[in-house]
Amino acid sequence: MTGLFDEARMAFGSLSDAATGLTHPTIRLGVTGLSRAGKTVFITALIHDLLHGARLPLFTPMATGRIARAYLEPQPDDRLPRFAYEEHLAALTAGDERHWPQSTRRLSQLRLTLEYEPTRFFARHTHGGRLSIDIVDYPGEWLLDLPLLALSYEAWSTATLAANRKGPRKQFAAEWHAHLGTLDVAAPADEAVAAEAARMFTAYLARCRADDVSLSSLPPGRFLMPGDLDGSPLLTFAPLDLEAKPSGGRGSLHALMRRRYDSYVAHVVRPFFFDHFARLDRQIVLVDVLTALNAGSEALTDLSAALTGVLECFRVGTRSWASQLFGRRIDAIVFAASKADLLHHSSHDRLEAILEALLADAAERAQFSGARIDAVAMSAIRATREAVIRQKGEDLACIAGVPEKGERIGKEVFDGMSEAAIFPGDLPEDPGPALAGEFEGHLKFVRFRPPPMKDDLSPHRGFPHIRLDRALEFLIGDAFR
Amino acid sequence: MTKVPRQPRAFRLNPEDEKPPAQKSKARKPRSLAAPRIEWQEETASETQGPARPPVRPAPLARPRRRWGILLAAGLAGFLALAAGHWAYGLIETFFARAPWLGWTATGLLAVAGFAALSITLREVVGLARLRTLERLQTDAAHALASDDAAASGRVLEGLKSLYAGRPDTAWGLSRLNEHAGDIIDPADRVRLAERDLVAPLDEEARRIIARSARRVTLLTAVAPHAALDIVFVAALNLRMLRQLAELYGGRPGTIGTVRLARMVIGHLAVTGGLALSDTLVQQLIGKGLAGRLSARFGEGAVNGILTARIGRAALDLTRPLPFAATPPPALVDLMREVATIAAADQAPE
Repeated sequence: MTGLFDEARMAFGSLSDAATGLTHPTIRLGVTGLSRAGKTVFITALIHDLLHGARLPLFTPMATGRIARAYLEPQPDDRLPRFAYEEHLAALTAGDERHWPQSTRRLSQLRLTLEYEPTRFFARHTHGGRLSIDIVDYPGEWLLDLPLLALSYEAWSTATLAANRKGPRKQFAAEWHAHLGTLDVAAPADEAVAAEAARMFTAYLARCRADDVSLSSLPPGRFLMPGDLDGSPLLTFAPLDLEAKPSGGRGSLHALMRRRYDSYVAHVVRPFFFDHFARLDRQIVLVDVLTALNAGSEALTDLSAALTGVLECFRVGTRSWASQLFGRRIDAIVFAASKADLLHHSSHDRLEAILEALLADAAERAQFSGARIDAVAMSAIRATREAVIRQKGEDLACIAGVPEKGERIGKEVFDGMSEAAIFPGDLPEDPGPALAGEFEGHLKFVRFRPPPMKDDLSPHRGFPHIRLDRALEFLIGDAFR
Repeated sequence: MTKVPRQPRAFRLNPEDEKPPAQKSKARKPRSLAAPRIEWQEETASETQGPARPPVRPAPLARPRRRWGILLAAGLAGFLALAAGHWAYGLIETFFARAPWLGWTATGLLAVAGFAALSITLREVVGLARLRTLERLQTDAAHALASDDAAASGRVLEGLKSLYAGRPDTAWGLSRLNEHAGDIIDPADRVRLAERDLVAPLDEEARRIIARSARRVTLLTAVAPHAALDIVFVAALNLRMLRQLAELYGGRPGTIGTVRLARMVIGHLAVTGGLALSDTLVQQLIGKGLAGRLSARFGEGAVNGILTARIGRAALDLTRPLPFAATPPPALVDLMREVATIAAADQAPE
């Protein structure tokens, strides 16, 4: 999917990275996840915990006191906004007003630098124990665009139509399909017609994303989260029914749509990928398995397909001096089932099993290329506590916290203020039946509000978390040499 | 802790609970509970339900089966004890016949001796039991690390806590360990944490013990006036090192325990010896080559020192309650480096 030019561009980038890396080593941490997977919360918690020396027992450099200082660097790239860490932190710790950060609408970036005691002669005499971590935050929807790099308009159009002519998508697409039938691909291009088609298509995508459906594979991402492209002609295209009428000539609607699509890929997707994802060192893939489980097997299958497609775009493999110079590769990936705090810890192993089954293809590919991989049930900010409730002779492993306003379980609707213990149902021991949707209706994961923070948010107190330290150790623990 | 004040109706059972659910009987319906009978949990290691893996077994040690030998020994020992008892009884009777005060003195002395013998036996038994505890901890830890087994990990942590309770040099590690007792951590990671916080600090001391012994052996062999004498020196120093190592890691072997440990070390060296090819090369180089050229005695001393370091390394593996998983194992080369700093350290008081 990458041409010669792109390869050369990446090699040049890697070469300059390697040169600056001698005096100022940097890890590009790819935080990958579809929308609502918890990227922003993960990044905020990660930065906060590292800055404040939080208790991360499994993250050895921190736990053994080797990290002397952590600070945020001035924004390195002047063209990009800085990750609004302070804003997100304020949102999370605002007493009774606390809430999860708003969904991300644009790209942002942050550089965190850690100073540590180097153990190696070379490190001590070049950079003196400084390690920067570059993190990029972005709307998860945009990630779905990456597979488009390899698709032509016709291929994309056919695949999209094939996908939404079956399964649950069909009912949501009915209105748009009806409109599609009236379009004539060979007719002369008309801006109004194109805009109308794009509008119908976008409405269909938005419907598929709603909570009760929770489908994931909904490219192009900018249709749902336009960012600064709102209203731009780049977004006025839609798939056409090319099977019925194979092609339109010059100046036709088909030609217009194709041109728009190609521009979209060239001016939106390509820069997004090459500027931010082509030269990653480490990657964490956040997957919101629980929301998909809430919605059922279609959502799970779709999530699996979407993530597998996205992950195929990354360069994965073992690291060598040559790859370090000419083509950076991701040599360690953590697959994290985020929001593990919505589940009692005795079910975490089962959650990890489901995650592994979901991403089996991607994990196999990564492992085959030699990268280290790990799967964890993780929660960057833990919003719940655990309890066991004895009811009618059975022990229910529950989690307790303050559910978000409007969340419901059965007939119970929560008001967002009072604490409740939730028994979310039993995850199956074997991931197979869960993926097949046999547990639909037997599981309900309720969203909780962020945990109330004690007033003494003093240094050495980070957010409560689940296995964030283990993920960190796996991702960057080996870089402190 | 605020009790949940609302949702009085939340206890309402789902209809699912009344009529048996079809087939998927194991799935319990999700429900929300504002429960009066709520039991808050301090989290412990998660209960693993992953695929079962066979438990890890300890490295095979040669344990000869000698039922007949034991029978012979038992018979002979019983007979000798009987004879000794008979002899002592007769002797005391004779003493009483001669003068009562003589008889009482003899009885008292015998009682003191008997008490001492009992104490020694008890100490040996306790020492052996503690060695066995170390062994069991190793097996459990290896199993927990390999298969993320919660039960084994729990046993390891409990064992470590009782092993190191009340020792000044492990107090810090134990308090660190208790600090994250309530976190959600995987069983295997708990063992790694215990190794890093509790056991790894002891490794430094173990390294010093080994280096010190190796250094002494080197010097003594070099200056020993007679070849037969340095065998005795080397053996005694090595046994002392074994006991010190075992004591450091929580065993308290008596004489029998130390001998047993020595046998295990020899077995372990036999098992792992083949792997240390490079070390052997170093040994050849120093013993026969460099040092040997300088002085034959010094060459022998160096070889004996390396041998001691190697025995110490094997004893370290055997007495350390956890395998090396979170921290790198000390290489023989590192130990040799410490041996090489003879002058500075040996003058320091112990």
